[in-house]
Amino acid sequence: MKKTVTTLWIILVILTIFAYLLGYLKLINSSLVAILLISTFIKGGLVIDYFMGLKSVKLKYRLIPIIWLGTVLSLIAVAYYL
Amino acid sequence: MSKTIKENYPAGDFAIWIIIYVELVTFGLLFLGYAFSRRSNIEMFNNSQLLLNQTSGFINTLILITSSYFVVRAVQAISEMRQNNIKESNHKASKWLLYAIICGISFLVIKFSEFYYIFGEGITLSTNKFFMFYLLLTVFHFMHVILGTIILFNIYKKTRNIGYTPNDYRGFETGGVYWHMVDLLWIVLFPLVYIIR
Repeated sequence: MKKTVTTLWIILVILTIFAYLLGYLKLINSSLVAILLISTFIKGGLVIDYFMGLKSVKLKYRLIPIIWLGTVLSLIAVAYYL
Repeated sequence: MSKTIKENYPAGDFAIWIIIYVELVTFGLLFLGYAFSRRSNIEMFNNSQLLLNQTSGFINTLILITSSYFVVRAVQAISEMRQNNIKESNHKASKWLLYAIICGISFLVIKFSEFYYIFGEGITLSTNKFFMFYLLLTVFHFMHVILGTIILFNIYKKTRNIGYTPNDYRGFETGGVYWHMVDLLWIVLFPLVYIIR
């Protein structure tokens, strides 16, 4: 379990560095925004599932923040692309 | 084939989950307000965003993610506690919490320096829509980090006094999930406000 959490932390750090480099190197464009939002969904999902521990409880408790995250990021994408 | 048995309730007090869901909706509306307002004046949003320091936003993201990791380790230490190792478990948890508190304070210092620069430039809520949303989101989040750090400090003090037992550590978990919510909000805020253009 400790190993899993440490691995998750490393994944979160890598995805954060990825997001930062997109901005810092001015690589961000419309196709990369979609990838950035997907990586943000993955990061948020990991925090919800493993840090908040919702993966091990009944689905309804997990679904609320997951649906929140998916809806917010999808609507951000709608606002960006439409 | 073994099937994992799911817990009936999430960690922490039930009330904290109500608070978390309300907070998520509130911040979610602000995130969407930002995203849809940006559509009406993309150039102004992009130009205003250039005044932000992406590097400090990035460092703060790393700090919050790392602090969340420390809190998970603290919760693990306390949840593995048995009657014969109460003292050790409390001390172990206090060590991880101290690291998390240091991260929380570091976040606040970096964010404060960012605010100091922004306000020094004469920027206020009325400057334009970008800065209205930037200040609403980040100041509101800043206040949550302050509260989260105070909560972690109180839990830390209790662990130093060997205040948690195998039958009573729900308050510990409650503080932990609140801190993870603060982290989760920043995970969405950082790319939205600092990166996407």
